[in-house]
Amino acid sequence: MVSIIGAGITHFGRHLERTIVSLALEATALALKDTGLAKERIGACYFANTLGPLLFSDTTIGQNLTAAAGLNKISVVNVENACASGSSAFHLARNAILAGDCEIALVVGAEKMCVPDFGLLNSGATELDTQLGMVVPAGFALRAQRHMYEYGTTVEQMAQVTVKSRQHAALNPFAQFRQLESLEQVLSGPVIADPLTRSQCCPIADGAAALILASDEVATHFERSVQVRSSVLASGSFEEPCDLTHWDTDYRTVQLAYEKAGIGPEDLDLVECHDAFTIAEIIHYEALGLCDKGQGGALVESGATTLGGRIPVNVSGGLLSRGHPIAATGVAQIVELVTQLRHEAGKRQVEGCQLALAHCMGGDKAGDTKACTVSVLAR
Amino acid sequence: MTSMAEYPPVQENIFTSGESPYLLGGYCAACEIYHFPAPEVCSGCLGEVELVSLGGKGTLYSITTIRTKPPLGLPKPYRVGYVDLQQVPLRVFALLDPVEEHNLVIGQTVQLEVARLGLNSENTPCLRPYFIAANT
Ligand SMILES: [Zn+2]
Repeated sequence: MVSIIGAGITHFGRHLERTIVSLALEATALALKDTGLAKERIGACYFANTLGPLLFSDTTIGQNLTAAAGLNKISVVNVENACASGSSAFHLARNAILAGDCEIALVVGAEKMCVPDFGLLNSGATELDTQLGMVVPAGFALRAQRHMYEYGTTVEQMAQVTVKSRQHAALNPFAQFRQLESLEQVLSGPVIADPLTRSQCCPIADGAAALILASDEVATHFERSVQVRSSVLASGSFEEPCDLTHWDTDYRTVQLAYEKAGIGPEDLDLVECHDAFTIAEIIHYEALGLCDKGQGGALVESGATTLGGRIPVNVSGGLLSRGHPIAATGVAQIVELVTQLRHEAGKRQVEGCQLALAHCMGGDKAGDTKACTVSVLAR
Repeated sequence: MTSMAEYPPVQENIFTSGESPYLLGGYCAACEIYHFPAPEVCSGCLGEVELVSLGGKGTLYSITTIRTKPPLGLPKPYRVGYVDLQQVPLRVFALLDPVEEHNLVIGQTVQLEVARLGLNSENTPCLRPYFIAANT
């Protein structure tokens, strides 16, 4: 098995004066300090970024980070897998250690996207869907409409996901939106795509997160290490016709991660899932087996997924309130699990947290997702 | 309508723009499956596909109105959805009636129209297909 021995994260939000490498360096230094290791012990770096090539014409940024951090000569891999870039980098680093390629690996996800006229993300300019007006919020709004139609999910239930998210973020100093919002405030905001109002869509952000992974031999020397019980990466099913009330890929990835970890949803103490939009969190509840299919709206309404509830979800504030610097998100989710499993999360600590799951999903294509990752961590 | 020929389609081999327009897609005889848009090769067998009509009628599977700043010179707001085609077993993403004179709902029968709508990747006006409420 592989363990996480160090974690670091920057504040997520607008960092206009910072570069991608500057944010990545800060997270890396924090993760290294957390381990107390000499940086020379690191044998590989898996670096995730998605928008550097598009916004700054910067490519192969991982080596800019390692050079700036004096981590020379090691193997460096640059990873891009849409919103699941950071968690894919984590998956690859864990596999490299399992394969015996290195004993200690650094994983960094860093993104800078707060630039003028950023606009809306799409699925790629050459895709027909994009040429026909598909933008990311529309894809999720269409899911929301169909989920409402088939299961009676309400706009209030969806808005409740944001209300909960803000409550959690108020307790997280790294989060972007820490002001509480009432149900009425969420619902009266400007509509982005019917029925999703602005605060039901995750904000763009700048930020970075880093993890240091180690083999069992190394990890035994670290009291605060957290075990990676399973890690799964899958791509979309792209089945025709697409069913917008769920992602088949979501169910497949989650099931495999449960199987490999030898657990079920009832064993979990905490979940960080990909709540890019409120409806997404509701659909992910169902794929994760936290409730029956179609019951995700009722689950959030019941309070079960709020801190102190049966199965708290996104106690960090999630993408909706922590912010979503694309490639940093997948790493940030795991940093949150590590903090919680170490019982170092302060006011947002989940009591008795021993087993936790991170779920990340990235890239829309043909009514499905391009990449999905699920990791199960234990103390 | 007479001037439609002056404008290029948003993408080639996606639709026809005659009297009763219809969508074009790929058909693989070996796999007996349809694809939209027509791919270079069939994703099932990597063999050739034939360019065929997918018809111009369907049923609305989901719909939303996008109210934020529109891309590609599309109107604000504009509507999109998924349509289950009647002629072939495909669910396709599509633009919906930009004029907003019909109140479209899930389950409604829709039919294809083609008109000048928005800009293409070269920033010039182009033809786009969209579904409107069927007149039957
Ligand atoms: Zn075929």
